[in-house]
Amino acid sequence: MRAPPRRLWRLIMVGSEHIKMIPAPDKNIWSAEVNGAPVEVLVASNAILLDVLRDKVGTLGVKRGCDMGTCGCCTVMVDGAPRLSCLCLAGQVEGSEITTVEGLADGAHLAPIQSCFAEYGGSQCGFCTPGFLISAQALLNENDTPTEQEIACAIEGNLCRCTGYQQIIESIQGAAAIHRGEVAAAAPASDAHPDPHPDGPDEPNMPPGHAR
Amino acid sequence: MSGGYRQQPGGSGPTTRKDGKRVAGKQAFPPPGSGGSKPKMATRDLDFIPESVGGKEPQPAGSHIHDRVRTGTSVGKEMPLVDSNAKVTGQAWYGDDVRLPNEVIGKILRSPHHYARIKSIDTTRVEALPGVLAVATGADSPHRFGVLPVTKDEHAMAVEKVRHVGDLVACVAAIDESTALEALNLFDIEWEILEPVFDPKKGLEDADEPIHWRGKYHLAKTNVQKRVFQEFGDRSLVEKPHAESHGKWKMAGVHHGFTEPHAVVAHWDPNGRLQLYTPQQVPHYTHRALSTVLDVPMHQINVIRTFVGGGFGGKSDPFPHEMCAAILSRKSGRPVRITFDREEVYWINRGRHPSHIEVKMTADEDARISGFDIDALIDGGGFASFGHVTSYYNGVLATAPYELGSFHYTGARVWTNKPASGAMRGHGAVNTRCAVEVGLDEMAETMQVDPIDLRLANLLPPHSRTISGFRITSNGMREALEKVRTGSNWDEKFRKLPLGKGIGIGCGFFISGSGLPIHWDPNRFPHATVHMQVDMDGGVTVHTGAADIGQGSTTAVAQVVSEVLALPIEMIHVRSHESDTSPVDLGSYSSRVTFMNANAAIRAALEIREQLLNAAWEMLGYHPNNLVLNDRRIYYKHDPAVGVSYLKALHKAQEDKGALIASGAYRSPPMGGVHKGAAAGLAPAYSFSAYVAEVDVDVETGIIRCTNVWAAHDCGKALNPLAVKGQIIGSCHMGLGQVLSEQMVYGRTGHLQNANLLDYKIPSVHEMPHVEPIIIESCDPEGPFGAKEAGEGPLLPILPAVVNAV
Ligand code: FES
Ligand code: FES
Repeated sequence: MRAPPRRLWRLIMVGSEHIKMIPAPDKNIWSAEVNGAPVEVLVASNAILLDVLRDKVGTLGVKRGCDMGTCGCCTVMVDGAPRLSCLCLAGQVEGSEITTVEGLADGAHLAPIQSCFAEYGGSQCGFCTPGFLISAQALLNENDTPTEQEIACAIEGNLCRCTGYQQIIESIQGAAAIHRGEVAAAAPASDAHPDPHPDGPDEPNMPPGHAR
Repeated sequence: MSGGYRQQPGGSGPTTRKDGKRVAGKQAFPPPGSGGSKPKMATRDLDFIPESVGGKEPQPAGSHIHDRVRTGTSVGKEMPLVDSNAKVTGQAWYGDDVRLPNEVIGKILRSPHHYARIKSIDTTRVEALPGVLAVATGADSPHRFGVLPVTKDEHAMAVEKVRHVGDLVACVAAIDESTALEALNLFDIEWEILEPVFDPKKGLEDADEPIHWRGKYHLAKTNVQKRVFQEFGDRSLVEKPHAESHGKWKMAGVHHGFTEPHAVVAHWDPNGRLQLYTPQQVPHYTHRALSTVLDVPMHQINVIRTFVGGGFGGKSDPFPHEMCAAILSRKSGRPVRITFDREEVYWINRGRHPSHIEVKMTADEDARISGFDIDALIDGGGFASFGHVTSYYNGVLATAPYELGSFHYTGARVWTNKPASGAMRGHGAVNTRCAVEVGLDEMAETMQVDPIDLRLANLLPPHSRTISGFRITSNGMREALEKVRTGSNWDEKFRKLPLGKGIGIGCGFFISGSGLPIHWDPNRFPHATVHMQVDMDGGVTVHTGAADIGQGSTTAVAQVVSEVLALPIEMIHVRSHESDTSPVDLGSYSSRVTFMNANAAIRAALEIREQLLNAAWEMLGYHPNNLVLNDRRIYYKHDPAVGVSYLKALHKAQEDKGALIASGAYRSPPMGGVHKGAAAGLAPAYSFSAYVAEVDVDVETGIIRCTNVWAAHDCGKALNPLAVKGQIIGSCHMGLGQVLSEQMVYGRTGHLQNANLLDYKIPSVHEMPHVEPIIIESCDPEGPFGAKEAGEGPLLPILPAVVNAV
C-alpha cells in the first residue's frame, strides 16, 4: 500500500468513512533560541523539530534526507549536543538553545570547520554537509585533538554518498588544527577580491632576451 | 604606437597632474571598486606551466594542443569547489528549499498493485475535501515521454495501466501536507488485477498482457524491451582454448542512495510561463519532456536546476512527478511543491539493473585472450528509461582495455513489474566488468600466471581500436597497473597472505562523454555550447547548461576559463542554473560534462583571449606572439615591466562595443563503425583504471571487511586533483556498498522490502577502507588540457578487486 505517512493522521479511514481518531493537535506557542536569536512560533503540539525548523523558523540549511534517523542530514545542536531533528518533537526541546548550520559562522567569518570542509573537499554535492558540520563542531567543541577513531565515531550517524568520508575526516582534522591555534583561519570571503588592475612587477623576472 | 610604455617600478605612475588634469598621453582607466586583496601581479607559476612551453610541469605523456594557452593559473591545482561556501553555510538551495510565496503542497497517489488496469477513477470525494485545490489523473497527461526519444513509454500518471507498486496514479495539491495526504484516501478507483512478472527470465516468455506494447516492433508477446546481438573477430579462435573460465552471475539491483530525496517546485508565472525548479542532472531533457506533456512550446518553460544533492544517474530522467507538479500548478494557479519521502525515492528508482550475467572466456597458449562470450539478461523494471543504451553497454564496454581475439555478446532487457531501472554511476558497465575481471583471475589461476601479468600482456596500446571499433586515444592502463602493483606491494602479498586475508586486482574502462548527442545529429549541432561575457568591470560571466551535481563541473569550467585568461578564479562567475540564460546542454550523464563543457569553455575563452591580446598589441606595439598573458596583466615576453593591466587591455578591446562576448562549442569527431548499435559506447575518449583491494575475511562468520584500496585512475589530466581524488574515494565507497552490503530486496510477492536507508545498507564511515587515490595523467589529445572523466570509471574496478581478493 501507500507509504505510511510521515505525520500522525488527523483522520483515519474505516471502511469508506472518515473517523476522527486522533483529535487535531492543539497549537501552542513554541519558543526556543535558534542560532542565538529567540524565536516564538505557533506549532502543533506533535510537530517535529525538523519541520518546525524548516517550515516555521526558516532555517532551510537543516536538510531532510530520510525522516527516520538514518541519514544524519537533519542534525542540529541542542544545548551543545548533536541531535537528529527528525526524531525529536519540537516540544521536547522547548526553551533550549538550538544551533543549525546557519549559526556556525560568525558574520562573514566562516567557522574553521566550514572553511576546512570547502578546502579539503569534505563537501561534494553538499546535501549531507550541514549535518556533518554540526556533528563535527560538537566534537571539536569538546575535543580539539580528536583521533581518527574519535572522528569516525562522532560522524558515524551521518551518511555521505559522495565523498566516501575520507576527505571529511581530513577536513575535521584540518579544523581541529585551527582550533588548537596551529594554523591561521581563512579570511572571510567577503574581503575584497583581487584587483583587476594590478601593478606590474617591480623588477622584470626574466632577463631580456629570454627565449620565452 | 611605438614600443609601448615602460611602467615605473612599483606602480603605474601618476596619471593625473597635481591640478587634477590628465597627464598627456596617459589615459586613466579607473579600476572599479576600490582596489582589491591582491594589488600586485603574481609571478608566473612555472610549476604549473607545461615543460613543452618552458615551464616546469613534467609531461611524461607528451605535449597537448592546449599547452600554449596554459598560464599556470589554476589547472592542475587543488581548488575548493566554487560553490562550496554556499554549501558549508547551508545556503545552497536544493529542491525542497525553494519556497515560493503562496505555495501549496502536492502529493502523489501511488499504485498498491504490481500490475493492474485502472477501470475507473472517481475524484469527486477528493475534490469535495476542503483545502484541496487541484486534482489530476492520467486523463490530464495523455502524452508520453521518456529520456530516450526511441523509447518514450512513460506518462506523468498512469493511463490505463499501473506497472509496478508505487507507480503514479493521481496527484492532488492542497493547502498543507496533512490535507493532501488525507485527500489521497478519497480516490475511488476500480482495478482489474493483471498477472505480474517479476523474474526477468519469465519476461522472455510470452505473456497474456505484455507490460508495454511496441506495435510492430514488439517481439512476439514477450516482455522484451530490447535485444542486442553483436559478434566481432574470429570466433574460430575459441574452439580449442588453452584456458577458459565460465562465470554465472546474478546481481541484485542497487540504488544510487543520494542523500537528497527528489523534490520539485512548479509555478506558472503571471506571463503564463512555467518556472520549474528541480534538482536535475538533465534539465534539458526535462524541458523537452515538459513541453510534450503539457503541450506548450519549449520557450514557454524555464527549467531552473537547483543544487543537486547527489545524482549518480538517479536524477537523469525527466520524471513524472515533475510533470505532476506542473499540471497541478497549472490547475490550481499557485506554486506547487512536491517533495518525496525516502520510500518514494525507491519507487521511482532508476538504479542499477538487477542482472543475470554469463561470461565465458578463453585464452590461447600465449595467454592471449582469444574470446569473450557475454550474455546479459537485465531486469528493466516497469519502464525503459535509459535501458536501450544499458543493453548495449553491458556488452560493448567490456571490449576494452584488453585486446580480444573475438567477442560475442547477446543481451536482453526485459520489462518486469518493479520500479524502473535506469542509469547509475558506471552505467551498464559495472556488472559485466565485475564478471569479466573475475573470470580473468580464474584463467590466471588455471594458467598459473600472476593476474596482473596476464592483464599487462593483453592490454590495448594507446591510439588503437577496440574489436568493436571504438577509437582509443590516450591510455594510461599500463601505468595504472604498475603503480598499484608497487603501491600495494603486490608481489610480496599476492598468494602469500595468511588465511583470512586476501588481495585482489580489478581494472576498469569507461566512456568519457557519449559520442552521440541523443536528440540531434552531432554533425549539425554541437554537443555542448558555452557563452561568455566580459563586462567593463573585468568579471567574466560564463553561461553554461552544465549541471553540477556535486562533481564540480562548474568549478572545472571556471578553472579552464581562469587558466586561459590568467584571471583569479574569483573573477569567473559561472551561471548554469536556468535554461533561460544558459545555452542548451544535454546535462550530466555518460561522464560528459567536464570533457565537453570545459572544451567548449576553452574555445570561448580563446576568443576572448585573442581580442585581449590584439588590444594589447595596439597599446604596446608587440605582436601577440611576443606577449605573455599572466595574472591580470599582459606584458612583453622579454621584459615583463612593459605591459598593460588586464583591465586596460579589456577596455581597449571593448571600445565601440561595451562588452566582450564570445561563444564556444564542442563537437566530437566523426568516429565509429557502421554496424547496428555502433554508436553505443562511442566516446571521444575513454578512461582507464586499476585498483588493488586488500580484504580481511572472518573465516568463521564470513564477514568481509575491506581494509585498504590502492586506486589508480587515468583521468587524462587532473584539472582539480582535489575533486578527482574525491571522486575516486567516493566511487570506492559506492562500489563497496554494491559488492558488500547494498541490494534492493524483492520479497516472494515481488514487493520491495527495504525501501529505506535503514535496511538498504549504505556503508558508514566505519566500513570505509583506507583508499589511496593515485591519479594517472595520460594527457588525452582531445580533452580539455588533456582531461578525461573521473566520475564513473573509478567505480568499476572496485567490485572485481574485492571479489578477487576474497
Ligand atoms: S532526516 Fe533525520 S536522519 Fe535523515
Ligand atoms: S557530499 Fe553529497 S552526500 Fe555528502
